[in-house]
Amino acid sequence: MESLSDTLWDVVICGTGLQQSLLALALSRSDKKILHIDPNEFYGGAEAAFSLQDTELWVNRASAGSGGLFKSASIAKPEGTTGLSASRAYSLALAPQLIHARSTLLSQLVSSRAYRQVEFLAVGSFYIFKPPQESSQRPSLARIPSTREEVFSTTAVSAKAKRLLMKFMKFVLDYESSPQLEVWQPFADALLTDLLQQEFKMDAELQTYIVTLTLSLDGKISTKDGLAAIRRHLSSMGVYGPGFAAIYPKWGGLSEIAQVACRAGAVGGAVYMLGTGIKETETAEGEVKIQLTSGDTVKTRMLVRAGDSASDEMGITRLVAVIGSPLNSLFEAVVEGAPRPAVAVIAFPAGSLSTVSGKASEYPVYLSAHSSDTGECPAHQSVLYLTTLSTPDANATLNLALDAFLGTITEGQAPSVLYRLQYEQLAGSQRSQSEASIFTFPAPFLSLSFNDSTLQPVHEAWKKVMGDAAVEADYMTFADREGAVDDDDVYE
Amino acid sequence: MADSNTPKPSSSVKLVLLGEAAVGKSSLVLRFVNNDFQENKEPTIGAAFLTQKCNLPTRTIKFEIWDTAGQERFASLAPMYYRNAQAALVVYDLTKPTSLIKAKHWVAELQRQASPGIVIALVGNKLDLTSDGAGSGGDADGAGAEDSGDARKVTTEEAKTYAEEEGLLFFETSAKTGYNVTEVFTAIANAIPETSLKTARGPGASHTAGRTEEQRVNLNGPRDPNAKEGCAC
Repeated sequence: MESLSDTLWDVVICGTGLQQSLLALALSRSDKKILHIDPNEFYGGAEAAFSLQDTELWVNRASAGSGGLFKSASIAKPEGTTGLSASRAYSLALAPQLIHARSTLLSQLVSSRAYRQVEFLAVGSFYIFKPPQESSQRPSLARIPSTREEVFSTTAVSAKAKRLLMKFMKFVLDYESSPQLEVWQPFADALLTDLLQQEFKMDAELQTYIVTLTLSLDGKISTKDGLAAIRRHLSSMGVYGPGFAAIYPKWGGLSEIAQVACRAGAVGGAVYMLGTGIKETETAEGEVKIQLTSGDTVKTRMLVRAGDSASDEMGITRLVAVIGSPLNSLFEAVVEGAPRPAVAVIAFPAGSLSTVSGKASEYPVYLSAHSSDTGECPAHQSVLYLTTLSTPDANATLNLALDAFLGTITEGQAPSVLYRLQYEQLAGSQRSQSEASIFTFPAPFLSLSFNDSTLQPVHEAWKKVMGDAAVEADYMTFADREGAVDDDDVYE
Repeated sequence: MADSNTPKPSSSVKLVLLGEAAVGKSSLVLRFVNNDFQENKEPTIGAAFLTQKCNLPTRTIKFEIWDTAGQERFASLAPMYYRNAQAALVVYDLTKPTSLIKAKHWVAELQRQASPGIVIALVGNKLDLTSDGAGSGGDADGAGAEDSGDARKVTTEEAKTYAEEEGLLFFETSAKTGYNVTEVFTAIANAIPETSLKTARGPGASHTAGRTEEQRVNLNGPRDPNAKEGCAC
């Protein structure tokens, strides 16, 4: 077997986050000589998923300042709890993004045949948290009707509100043609809520329903972006089966896709080295000389790496909580013939939580509840991923939201929190950089739903590596490998 | 080896290969799947996994055999490789003692990473390079390692004792001659508890609890470009 330093590599990919991994998948049939390294001992970069033990190692690194765009990470376990299972029974995702059915990521996973090794689960209902009107009442969750049938059958909103919702849905599905275009264009860069209020006469509650469907982190989404997000949601409904608009890869979301993509890279001949980063690079005469942290020096025509410099944009703060309840009522299929959902989304609109000092929450909090069917926790437990924009109060607000959510659970006893992981993720540069022989990916989006713009830099990097040999029609389009499908592949 | 008589229950089993580079992992599989052997085979490239059926008296096991794709070279196998594996073939080269040390490392890794009930077979390959093997059909057990012209460096005794301690199936094989190869897979098929089997599914499918079936979203279904736009407005 040839040594690393004797080879002139066509490309060295550093990092196994989603984008780098998808690049490895895209190049997996190219016959290029690929060395794929990662300074981490795990796959997935900013999209990784961890056992409890690995989470601890990651937290130690992040709090020691070597967590890249992650910082202020900590773990809290109530003393003396025995409710947690073995470390490996958990797979906590750093970026638990849901993927809308119309996402190009899914069509690329299908055309590249990588989807065969991933299990996808349905993302079910979206809920809004309703604080109690009086202190004697319990807070509750209201399900957002997001199909025409649901709007029709819901008892949560008035007949007038139903008409408004129907009208809006119809509008959004064809919002880019006339006469709809003329209605919203004057509002394009204004807040979506302005359009909803002025053109659709929606009250604050209905506006919140609509804005929640966009999963906007600051709740202040523009009309242009908001309409696109809602159309994506509505048009994704029913694509892969009745009753759901988005899906989630089992065992930790995008982490699983990164691993599957890297395996495809390996099957195609790429060499994989975890725990190996770049110490120094030196570019000369169209070649990059890279000194690896392992001590080896390698030469490559191109280097592709992750961008991890923070930007001035607001970051997010997350709280990942393992709780001792299966939360069955959240994960019921609401449409006949629908697969049982494994994920539910609960939004706490801005202002719906008040801090100890009586201050109302400034930004929305989103809680993504994952059942044990995601493989992220053992049976009879659930994992809750809470996200809000980073403010000085963010940690406290997330804990308030968690408590408030637990207060809405009416089945059995109030569930106990077995484990809390908190961390901050900084926003990074949203632009890729392409120098002569070095391509740098942008930082991952902090959005709660997979953003298709993530795929563009992967395509750019692919074109750069392939050069004249790039055939657009072949991008991410592969036949099944030998053995993947056999003669009598009976699904019994 | 198809049996066209009464249909027997058929189960899909994910089997992962482990072992040091160049011990013959892929060759063993090639022998089992295609009854073929290639001298001086290049390191594994190009196969995601292979499938082969194994007919038992009462059921059919369809092995989905996953190769490391070289990711073992720098200890960079992903958790998804081990996930839901019901069987593992840990291979060493019985002419190379260090490969047995490596094999023990992989057994420990499997005990750490894989499902608790996984069936592990320890396989000493390249028996054709020893004086006792070579596919003569002779009894591999009890063969001496000191015979002249014998490249064997790991005694049957040593590996067998280790396998017994760890509760592993144990075989010495030759992918080159085919000696004992089918036997390994048949023994694994027999060792998989009936309770952990379910009916065949697509390649790459998982083998967890049955109720997940009703939940899986199939991306390969008819993705109708004109699918009802959400609410059929």
